[in-house]
Amino acid sequence: MLLEFELNGKQTRVEAEPTLRALDLLRDVLGLTGTKEGCGRGECGACTILLDGMPVNSCLLYAAKLQGRRVTTIEGLTAEDGTEDGAEDGTEDGAEDGTEDGAADGGGDHACQGDCPPLHPLQEAFLAEGAVQCGFCTPGMILSAKSLLDRNPDPDVGEIEEALSGNLCRCTGYGKIIKAVQRAAGDGIKAAREPGPGSGAGKSGRRQRGATR
Amino acid sequence: MQYLRARNLKQALLQAAEAAGERVKFLAGGTDLTVQIAEGALDPTLLIDISAAEELRRLERGAEGLRIGAALTIAELLESARAAAGKPAESASIPRCLLQGAAAIGSPQIRHLGTIGGNVCNASPCGDTLAPLIVLAASFTLRSPRGSRVVPAEEFFLGPKATVLEPGEILESILIPVSHLSGRSAFRMIGKRNGQVISQVNIAVWLKRGRSEGAGTISTPIEDIRIAAGSVAPIPLRLKRAEELLRSVIPDPPLLQAAAGAVQEEIQPISDVRTSQAYRRSVIASLFTDVIGEVLEREGR
Amino acid sequence: MNGQKLSVVGRGVPKVDGAELVTGRAKFAGDLRFPGMLYAVARRAGIPAGKIRGIDGSAALALPGVRAILTAGDIPGPNIIGILPPFDQPVLASQEVRYEGESLALAVAESREAAGRAAAAIRVDLESWEPILDVDQALAEGCRKIHPEGNITFSKRLVKGDVEKGFAEAEVVVENTYHTSFQEHAYLEPETVVAVPGGDGRVTVYASCQSPFHIRGHVAANLGLPASRVKVIQAYTGGSFGGKDDVATEIGCLATVAALKLQAPVMIVHERRESIVGSNLRHAARIHYRTGSRRDGTIVAREARIHLDGGAYASESPFVTMKALIHAGGPYHVPNVRVECTAVYTNKTYCGAFRGFGVPQVTFASESQIDELAAKLNMDPLELRRRNALRAGQANATGQVFAGSVGIVQTIERIAERRDRLPPVRQDRSAAAGAGSTPEGRWLYGRGCACLLQGISNGAEGIDVVGASVQASQDGSVLVGVGLTDMGQGSRTVFAQIAAEVLGVTMDRVTVRQVDTDSVHDSGPTVASRSTTVGGMAVFKAAEEVKASLVKMASLMLKCEEEQVLLEENFAVRASSANNPEVRIPLPEVCTAAYWTGFPLMHLAFSRAPEARFDHETHQGDIYIAYNYGTHLMDVRIDRLTGAVEVLRHLAAHDLGKAINPMGVEGQVEGGALIGFGMAHLERIEHEGGCIRNANFADYAVPSIKDRLPTETIIVEDPNPTGPYGAKGVGEPPVAGTAAAFANAVAAATGRRFTRLPIRREDLLAALQERDAAKGG
Repeated sequence: MLLEFELNGKQTRVEAEPTLRALDLLRDVLGLTGTKEGCGRGECGACTILLDGMPVNSCLLYAAKLQGRRVTTIEGLTAEDGTEDGAEDGTEDGAEDGTEDGAADGGGDHACQGDCPPLHPLQEAFLAEGAVQCGFCTPGMILSAKSLLDRNPDPDVGEIEEALSGNLCRCTGYGKIIKAVQRAAGDGIKAAREPGPGSGAGKSGRRQRGATR
Repeated sequence: MQYLRARNLKQALLQAAEAAGERVKFLAGGTDLTVQIAEGALDPTLLIDISAAEELRRLERGAEGLRIGAALTIAELLESARAAAGKPAESASIPRCLLQGAAAIGSPQIRHLGTIGGNVCNASPCGDTLAPLIVLAASFTLRSPRGSRVVPAEEFFLGPKATVLEPGEILESILIPVSHLSGRSAFRMIGKRNGQVISQVNIAVWLKRGRSEGAGTISTPIEDIRIAAGSVAPIPLRLKRAEELLRSVIPDPPLLQAAAGAVQEEIQPISDVRTSQAYRRSVIASLFTDVIGEVLEREGR
Repeated sequence: MNGQKLSVVGRGVPKVDGAELVTGRAKFAGDLRFPGMLYAVARRAGIPAGKIRGIDGSAALALPGVRAILTAGDIPGPNIIGILPPFDQPVLASQEVRYEGESLALAVAESREAAGRAAAAIRVDLESWEPILDVDQALAEGCRKIHPEGNITFSKRLVKGDVEKGFAEAEVVVENTYHTSFQEHAYLEPETVVAVPGGDGRVTVYASCQSPFHIRGHVAANLGLPASRVKVIQAYTGGSFGGKDDVATEIGCLATVAALKLQAPVMIVHERRESIVGSNLRHAARIHYRTGSRRDGTIVAREARIHLDGGAYASESPFVTMKALIHAGGPYHVPNVRVECTAVYTNKTYCGAFRGFGVPQVTFASESQIDELAAKLNMDPLELRRRNALRAGQANATGQVFAGSVGIVQTIERIAERRDRLPPVRQDRSAAAGAGSTPEGRWLYGRGCACLLQGISNGAEGIDVVGASVQASQDGSVLVGVGLTDMGQGSRTVFAQIAAEVLGVTMDRVTVRQVDTDSVHDSGPTVASRSTTVGGMAVFKAAEEVKASLVKMASLMLKCEEEQVLLEENFAVRASSANNPEVRIPLPEVCTAAYWTGFPLMHLAFSRAPEARFDHETHQGDIYIAYNYGTHLMDVRIDRLTGAVEVLRHLAAHDLGKAINPMGVEGQVEGGALIGFGMAHLERIEHEGGCIRNANFADYAVPSIKDRLPTETIIVEDPNPTGPYGAKGVGEPPVAGTAAAFANAVAAATGRRFTRLPIRREDLLAALQERDAAKGG
């Protein structure tokens, strides 16, 4: 079956068995291994992707159902400026200060091993709050949180819990995950209310790279 | 395993009819089906995907009642209720016990993919929409190449994962009659933990109070009541003896307690990997007390 | 090390490997792709005990896409793995089935689906035996022997003083029997390996694991290869908690046998069900315990008899047995202690390492005893603990005396201080009333506390060494390699912090490489909360050696004495003095100059913890390099109508020596606490006839976000001289503390002691109804 759907903002065409799991289509056929398999039964949420912005378990989703839909995986998370690699200022990796990895203060709140992509506020928040340990649940967790914040920018704790109730984590105890979502929500609200000087619409994501909090 | 996508209901039925000798399964969201296929519990040779069929995804309030398309996802059902909140009663608002049952299903991920029809046709005794549909006197419209028939929810389930659906027959829609859109209803369930829970036991109640003569509703009799429980028998169970105790009476604490006792006696729970028979029998009385308290006290819808 | 101002150590820095994790770029073993890669799936027995009469793979081999069906005969080496010799676990069984998950054959195919179908199509002829299902049955006279030497896996004693004399002196005695259940690790990433033949006579095994050197050793032995031809690389690992010790070795061997036979890369990924059934669990325990004290609360004697149900194979049972033995006495100064601990074989999934490693089980029993004693003495439970808590200079249960870093009293005091500021626990009036009263209110409230100790690192389990390498490049960046693994607990970040601190570089200049058995000294398993302590020490030493080169070079460039040189913020600095202003040179210039001058910029260091010296008959001696001590307090509210429990408050105070990364510490405490809570309340592996009935995440209730605890981490720092910057580990202690505190809180709320974990909703409801019935009638 020829599948045509929007994947992380790009129109994608791929030939696949209709009953191939979307999880396997992403990981094995399209090489996007950010989405993980934790249980294969829709019981853990590690395989969460967004389908038209809504979280679903890709281990339960036959590839045929992606036809004509809008799919977002963790690889598709962008900085708020909407560009895939965030490089708006002409340098190779969007570094603001001319240093190799763009760390604004050198000591940086996150030190990247290897090239440092511009991070979505949720990704920044998860790092800053210590909400990542082994990282296996993280892609699914972040996507569930993104879906929540895209629809409800100012959720209370109960709403965050409900939105993440289908994502299991065995490492963190969840407390810092809640804090990370709250932080990202807060940053988003602040950014929406007060765009900084010299940053036009949509630059708030880049503003946060390397920034100390 | 072959896969066909039906553009509409008619095409789905045709595809099924033409698939002589195939083991056919209709696919909506697939949250139950894909697992059963992967585990080898089901072995269809043809899947007909009906999730795109528009007529199976309608939610309409008409003269006969509220008609819910079987392929409506659980999340869409909940979302439409949120959208309808505050709107006039004639809009497609959904009875509370069904919303509470739907909200109790799995996780957001399951709710965004799974459908109400899927929950019904999977016919797991712990399905969270089943007891609500029974107390709402819902009826199911089944379509096949031979025509259509209507089956009351109570008669639809035959056993765990078994229904009256014949090969090639689809659940098209669920009707909640206008008579049961009024009144009050509620649902409770309990599981091992707080999040992403499978019901160890669940219970739904719908009732209608008589006309009030004095102040408040406390002193008005229960005109009609329906009680059903899930995960307490091979099928979702209507609890008629408990209903009898409360029908046409003015509810008072001793009566409610007796009804709770009747609920406990009437269910036929077993011990399984989810919990013990004893816990089911004990906790259902508590859930019943909670749920009946909600329908009796609550003002408004 | 002590007393100086620290710039990176002690700060809550984000993980150094965080960016690749939040973007999904990090490659876990299952994400690796190699040209021509095949997949393998094991055929498992499906019955708990029996004789293997025959295995016929011919039908399976004929299926499309199938390349090989391997059995025991295809394993070149001895076909055996284990933790402590003599090893008792086959890689592929050929004679006997000892548990339902026993691997009998391996199907190798071009896709996972084809391999799975092939595995299912392998014909196995098994003669089913009556399985041995519990400890008493296994120990009974005439019981079938699961292993040739009998059904006792390991049995040891701890004897301090004379308990008979102690109990004779005791004025108050409490006695009870406690049970804990099997618990599953439930890491989100199932076990995964990929074996890749190198074409150069070597094979590389990428593994989700925590003991890469174990894997290397067993793969080499079972393949009949020299270990130097096997390389194990730890892929990003999605949680382990002790669970990927044995099984990574098992599938590492299997994948390698297949890879070398077929000269192709082979991946094995477990399905969740297989992960639960086919990999180790936490030992279920039965603990008979008695404690005697004087009327003033001084504990004079403690005696415990412990039976551990260890399942089909020994795995870590010997070490869990020793650890349970050593910790059963609790963090108290007790003159007379006798503990006997016996691990037993049964025909169930084998048990091994799981965060806590025997300590959570015995702590639950020990701390229940303390509360029962407090009740009998009519004494505040926290005060009773304070009275008996170990102080520096006192001998613990193994007779070991620590001159310092014994912070249990400090943790008790921190909790007591907080408790004093809390509102009193709400009382359920009916609890005090007599029979016939109507219970008022829906909720029962209770507060419980617990104290614990957890030995850091290997202790009596054997040699305790870690290798590390630190390499400075000419550009002033630093590469760190350590033999211990990061499975999420943040050790990579801690190692980076230590190297950065010593060398005066900023965190972004430090890279910690993946663990690769080629590059560092065999460092044993990453267990026992040893990463920070022993691992950190190795990094510290290696960094110090490189620092010496840089300081020497810098002193030449700055024209000053070596003592005047400071390394900080990527600079070598000569501090200002009376006549001279401060001078600084960028560290990259120093590194380049050092290279061209011939000063070594890489050093391999070896950190070896003092050897445990103890009497193997009595377990008296110096066993651990340090202990972490903790005190927990938990407030619960129980719904008397459903048995549901809400944790209203959870304070966890730990003496961990020095918090190198406070945010990391919180993460470990919060995560460990929830695992302890699972053990105490939600999680129970259900066996029937030796088979696990809830091998999935729906019926095995791993806590969801809605079940989380409001854990508050309280850090107490009583520096440990054997750890870097005084640090001790903290990965495991929160498990024991939380489980024990929960049990005590529930007992306080219900007025009833529960002696079995988990205390589930249904257990609470049943107990409450029994109590109400007794009162009412």
